[in-house]
Amino acid sequence: MIIATRTIRQLAPLLCLALLASMLTVPAQAAIVGTGELIQQQHQTQSRASLSQALSQDDVRQSLKALGVSEDQVQQRIDRLTPAELASFNQQLNEAPAGEGVVGVIVLFVLVFIITDMLCATDLFPFVNCIR
Amino acid sequence: MVRGFLLAGLVVATLLTGCASQPWPSTVREPAPAAHQLAVPFHPQTRYQCGPAALAMMLNDQGIGATPDALVERVYLPGRQGSLQLDMVATARQEGLLVHPLAPDFQALLSEIDAGHPVLVLQNLGLRWWPQWHYAVVTGYDVEADVLILHSGVNANYRLPRPAFLATWDRAKRWARVMLTPDQVPATTTPLAFLASAHDLEATGQLEAAREAYRTALYHWPDQAAARLGLGNVAYQQQDWDLARQHYARLTRAFPELGAGWHNLAETLEQQQCPQAASQARACAYRHDPNRFPQLPAGHQPGQDRNGCPPPPSCLPKAQ
Repeated sequence: MIIATRTIRQLAPLLCLALLASMLTVPAQAAIVGTGELIQQQHQTQSRASLSQALSQDDVRQSLKALGVSEDQVQQRIDRLTPAELASFNQQLNEAPAGEGVVGVIVLFVLVFIITDMLCATDLFPFVNCIR
Repeated sequence: MVRGFLLAGLVVATLLTGCASQPWPSTVREPAPAAHQLAVPFHPQTRYQCGPAALAMMLNDQGIGATPDALVERVYLPGRQGSLQLDMVATARQEGLLVHPLAPDFQALLSEIDAGHPVLVLQNLGLRWWPQWHYAVVTGYDVEADVLILHSGVNANYRLPRPAFLATWDRAKRWARVMLTPDQVPATTTPLAFLASAHDLEATGQLEAAREAYRTALYHWPDQAAARLGLGNVAYQQQDWDLARQHYARLTRAFPELGAGWHNLAETLEQQQCPQAASQARACAYRHDPNRFPQLPAGHQPGQDRNGCPPPPSCLPKAQ
């Protein structure tokens, strides 16, 4: 499994290129021109995010399951993402924060953060008014 | 021991407050110190679950009856004890709302409040190296009191001093979203940004909401070809061939140099068993955009149009 995933990862740039190349040569009759293509042309940025959709679906499914999302929710969560979101999901998971609220402040830190709260640098304790 | 931590805290705090805090933009400072507060339904958050609570407030504000509890399984990631921004956005879209990213700009946030739109923000209430991520809904501001007003955590209309808000918002890269029904336009959007959000609805199968959004775009920015193309594409996906053909035909009249309009018109005419008209439209697509669309093969003989097909379109001369 690990080897397979790694192989796919290594092949991903090649597959992307291949897909892109095939997009350029496939007869245009294949389908209507999507609204996104026109918007992107106007943005003058060629996003290739959609090309990696097929590659990242399985990755996202694995991640969601590992994070405790129930089996029947996994597919629903994937279906509602745009191709670009899907492609960036794992990256976001690694980099992006998940809003969690203020919990579990270690007691030893409390004093530090009361002071930073008082200086308007943080806002961990709503009851601490910051001094301006 | 305690003295050591106090000292460390003071050092950290001194470093942090070294950054300049942004003042109120002149637009809200002049002529008179302004204050603005929106009435937004409030849900207090339970442990870890500021994401579902904040999202419920955003949805309620747009007339969608959602509760934090019902949203938990759609946005909450147990393994992360939190909610990703991506899931917050996708869930709002699933409810048929148009999700608009705001520019990472204090002025943009205030402009949306002035326009009556609550703003979902991500904050890092802690420090860079010890982050405490938090979603809140900005419901207002008060220049004189120098505070932002937020539905945050268990506090409704919590008054947070501006420097503290900016510090915590900066640390979350000033992430902010406005979520509106597709008939509304945010105060700070651009035509292409609006259309990109509308297309996100189309791409995730929210066709009715997408259609509404494209109509809104066309009404506000009649010169946006993508809005008309989007209306055609939604109709095409709903297999409403007559309606799709009408939209594409109008697109080719308004933007004859746009190959995509001719091409999609051809596709629709073929769905309607009108091969004569379709091949004429294909010729127009090639003529206006030979790099994107292929030339009809030499000696191409389309079949007969069925009864009731529109006459073959004529390409207008390419505008120079």
